[in-house]
Amino acid sequence: MSFDYLISILKPMLEGAQMTVLLFIIAIVVSIPLGFILTLSAGSRFKPLSLIAQGYIYVMRGTPLLLQLLFICFGLPMIPVVGEYLVLDRFVAACLGFILNYAAYFAEIFRGGLLAIDKGQYEASQVLGLNKWQTLTKVILPQMFRIALPSVANESVTLVKDTALLYAVAVPELLHFAQTAVNRDFTIVPFFVAGIIYLIMTLLLTMVFKWLEKRFKFE
Amino acid sequence: MPIIEIANLKKSYGNLDVLKQITFDVNKNDVVAVIGPSGSGKSTMLRSLVYLEKIDDGTICVAGNHLVKDGAYAKPQEIKEINAKMGMVFQHFNLFPHLTVKENLELAPKMLKEESPAQIQQRSSELLKKIGLTDRATAYPAKLSGGQKQRVAIARALMLNPEILLFDEPTSALDPELTGEVLNVMKDLAEEHMTMIVVTHEMGFAKEVANRVIFMDNGEIVESGSPAELFTNPKNERTKTFLKRSLK
Repeated sequence: MSFDYLISILKPMLEGAQMTVLLFIIAIVVSIPLGFILTLSAGSRFKPLSLIAQGYIYVMRGTPLLLQLLFICFGLPMIPVVGEYLVLDRFVAACLGFILNYAAYFAEIFRGGLLAIDKGQYEASQVLGLNKWQTLTKVILPQMFRIALPSVANESVTLVKDTALLYAVAVPELLHFAQTAVNRDFTIVPFFVAGIIYLIMTLLLTMVFKWLEKRFKFE
Repeated sequence: MPIIEIANLKKSYGNLDVLKQITFDVNKNDVVAVIGPSGSGKSTMLRSLVYLEKIDDGTICVAGNHLVKDGAYAKPQEIKEINAKMGMVFQHFNLFPHLTVKENLELAPKMLKEESPAQIQQRSSELLKKIGLTDRATAYPAKLSGGQKQRVAIARALMLNPEILLFDEPTSALDPELTGEVLNVMKDLAEEHMTMIVVTHEMGFAKEVANRVIFMDNGEIVESGSPAELFTNPKNERTKTFLKRSLK
């Protein structure tokens, strides 16, 4: 195995890694706010909204992400009448799948964060004359995000690895290029290279979250 | 005219009557200590004054405005205005852990926007000085001792210039050696003629600082009077038993 060989497989694999990173960023940026909206909806006193949100979370957490991805990519177009309008670009479809799935997980993480906040915080806010919105944005949310941070970090690392599921819907990402090189060159080196690239990505991510945790330690 | 009039407060959870016909007045500049065994309804009574508990029946009138009259509550906006006349200090401080001491003090006034930021800052500095925590202004609550936390909580309540300050067992969560610093701040407030209702287990404080003591047991006021009367010459058997146990 030569150095030149490594360079030659590294180029397409890094391109694939770009796809991975892009999906990760899109998924995380959209699913976190969406997850938070789901948390509030699930806890809403307006029953229909609460039931829809809880049902959504149940379905999304109760079925495999792979099934959801396959459904969006290959299932939607097969629906009679409307199916022909639901043929999405593979990458767009994959982003959609990840966002919808991860929002449900983030919703549960944030719910846990909300539950952990002492009711004295609401009482103090009320007695100090804060209205509901001020209490939520100035008192509850900052604490909820802080409590949820380690779990969000964990979920984000899982998301990086889950991007490998793109392989199943034929979006060329990191694992796809590794597998292609393994088949073509009959060597397992590309698998190791892919593993190292994933490790670097998750390491960077872990460092970012560690920094965030330290930054918002409130001590 | 009394600043707080409480008449016939009733509240029950299922079959349990936590408040039975509570009636008393508080005059301006009064320091009222409410004592009694755990579960006697002291805290529930206090919390109902700031709408943290809803009563089933009765009347609460604060500075001439009815929070609730014969069981019928005022409109939400009026409730808010009435509550603004009172500050509350909790047993477990309930400071905002994600904000510094100074930010804890300034959050509510900044949100209410009744004063300029400069005025708010000036008063928070003054109050920090008053409670002796100027040097901890930028510390987070996690770095404070229990006594310091409670002093900050008192200052936070004072930021809104309440006419009445309510204390719900302010020293019960503190180590014994830390209660003094909190009681001293409360003593200073009493000397400045702040109207206070203090639910407490600190008999010493009730004796020295309060001008009126109310003994509650089993959801009702058993006896009330000046500390001298109540502590040296209690009339009711239940009061006698309670004091005997508490003063031991």
